[in-house]
Amino acid sequence: MAASVCRVGSTVGRALAKNRNPILLSLRRGQASVSYAQSLVGAPETRLTALDNGLRVASEETGHATCTVGLWISAGSRYENEKNNGAGFFLEHMAFKGTKNHPQTALEQQVESMGAHLSAYTSREHTAYYMKTLAKDLPKAVELLSEVVQSCSLNEAEIEQQRPVVLRELAEVETNLQDVCLDLLHATAFQGTPLGQSVLGPSDNARTLTRQNLVDYVNSHYKAPRMVLAAAGGVNHEELVSLAKSHFSGVSFEYEGDAVPLLSPCRFTGSEVRMRDDDLPLAHVAIAVEGASAASPDIVPLMVANSIIGSFDLTYGGGKNLSSRLARLAVEEKLCHSFQAFHSSYSDTGLLGIHFVADKHYIDDMMHWSQNAWMNLCTTVTESDVARGKNALKASLVGQLNGTTPICDDIGRHILNYGRRIPLAEWDARIDGRDPKVLRDVCSKYIYDKCPAVAAVGPVEQLPDYNRMRSAMYWLRF
Amino acid sequence: MMSIAGRPGVLSPYLQATKHTAKSLLFAGATELVPAAAPGGIRLAHTDIKIPDFSDYRRPEVIDPNKSSQGSSEGRRVFSYLFTGATTVVGVYSAKTVVTQFVSSMSASADVLALSKIEIKLGDIPEGKNMTFKWRGKPLFVRHRTEKEIATEEAVNLGELRDPQHDKERVVDPKWVIVLGVCTHLGCVPIANAGDFGGYYCPCHGSHYDASGRIRKGPAPLNLEVPYYEFPDEDTVVVG
Repeated sequence: MAASVCRVGSTVGRALAKNRNPILLSLRRGQASVSYAQSLVGAPETRLTALDNGLRVASEETGHATCTVGLWISAGSRYENEKNNGAGFFLEHMAFKGTKNHPQTALEQQVESMGAHLSAYTSREHTAYYMKTLAKDLPKAVELLSEVVQSCSLNEAEIEQQRPVVLRELAEVETNLQDVCLDLLHATAFQGTPLGQSVLGPSDNARTLTRQNLVDYVNSHYKAPRMVLAAAGGVNHEELVSLAKSHFSGVSFEYEGDAVPLLSPCRFTGSEVRMRDDDLPLAHVAIAVEGASAASPDIVPLMVANSIIGSFDLTYGGGKNLSSRLARLAVEEKLCHSFQAFHSSYSDTGLLGIHFVADKHYIDDMMHWSQNAWMNLCTTVTESDVARGKNALKASLVGQLNGTTPICDDIGRHILNYGRRIPLAEWDARIDGRDPKVLRDVCSKYIYDKCPAVAAVGPVEQLPDYNRMRSAMYWLRF
Repeated sequence: MMSIAGRPGVLSPYLQATKHTAKSLLFAGATELVPAAAPGGIRLAHTDIKIPDFSDYRRPEVIDPNKSSQGSSEGRRVFSYLFTGATTVVGVYSAKTVVTQFVSSMSASADVLALSKIEIKLGDIPEGKNMTFKWRGKPLFVRHRTEKEIATEEAVNLGELRDPQHDKERVVDPKWVIVLGVCTHLGCVPIANAGDFGGYYCPCHGSHYDASGRIRKGPAPLNLEVPYYEFPDEDTVVVG
């Protein structure tokens, strides 16, 4: 019912938007000034241009006084091998330590005097360097970014100095058990393949990577066709394109020896890894099946399915009135401290799973109910569940884009994944077109009777045997 | 934070991963994470964990790490389920067989069962003669009938029989009549070749049976009982 109200609301909204009848507008006095449907339709368009060398430039002019501009590159731990795993991460550390034209202090001064923030992140398939600044400082920002990416000095002394920093960061990550758990999940699910490698890389590599490794990494992966210069905020697209032409035309698009690194498919292995440590207070457990790739049409039903399971932690105030069934159980039976349903999608595969944090006496129950929630999705999910999930998903998609940086990140990642920015209106339409039958079929395709990958960290004695967890991936029915 | 700075000899530092803010870490700096000549001993970060190579155990379709495992997943599952199903069927059948064998060992033994059948050599019985055998504790009459007797019995009108049965129903081979020698009145043993009908006569209460063992006169209500018998060959009959 909620879905139909939504649909009626949106058609009415669209009709109103077209007519702009003053009487009808006045009837809506007291409501939000812009309806959801209107805001979808009225969202600024993302403009995309490609330079001659293949580098793509995309921007969304939102009218803010600030902007975020950055470079999104198709490079990450998936492109590394055992010997240089961690190079991307190390490079990220080295990025802001000075360029050929601006040594470290000069670079820092330039950035600080603009009042800008310069950051970067590396993930398994993407690397991003971006700067948040005032809209009027766009030219300077693009110039600095181009230097950081193209002519990073990679000073030997600096590299040696950064090594302990990287090692310390590795040590610090060990305390973030959620990241450890999800890293282990990838390592076991994609064992033997590059996707199983962590972004941070093993500590040995952090100790032995040389300048040459980093230079090779840059030369083989920082190529124009794999880069996107994205910007969001008070930016003018033409201005951005001309800046890109002047600074990024030099980015090469040819590979040495014509060795274009192609991504080969990554095999998913149903498996498990347990890092048992009874001294830790809580257990982190993640269970996942192979999911859909970023460009797959199944992405939307799977996202809706995840919204149905939802997330939970102890700070949620809904109690036994929370909408997600698993969350209600978590409250009533005190199953866990928190859980979230996630879907990490990569260019040709993905991980669809549930991660939870629980006390050591409740792991078995929590795992049982999580898998029960999955089985429910595959078999008995109802209209009202789906309607609720759709609304939650739409709300979260819209809510995430709350600033120039998330919008810019969205642009960058979309262009790398899909080749274009998928506007909210399109997401909306794709979400609306799902009914429970489609959801059941898609979930069954990915979840039902499949071998999961499980990773567990902490006091995990109670975690059931793998065969028991595998048996819970189907129901004895017919 | 890792609290390994001051404890080189303890087990993997990961086991100590509690939230100690060890100030000594800041000064230990680079040295703390350098392994102290520990051959494969100290693991420093979760990224150092190497998932072992399980290629020796993998099925052929999933050995190549550069091939998606989705395509073969249905086939692998079907194989596993079929194998399990077949093994279960075989296992259940074997279990049933073993149990049956143990339970049936408690039933009658072969020598006891052997007493339930009797094998008679027909060549020893001349025509017109009736021989008596002990079978299952009761007398068994085996009569070698003459042609005349056979014709007579077959021509009897069923209407005049107290227990109407045609001769054909009571014999397999008309030359041989095999009946239990127990009178159906009160259980005496009739005398062969006696009585008014050329068959048997029970002396206790005067029941007359004919050459087919049917009651003709006297108090007995039913014909003499015909047991199950078969002729494995021309000269032998097995009764029981």
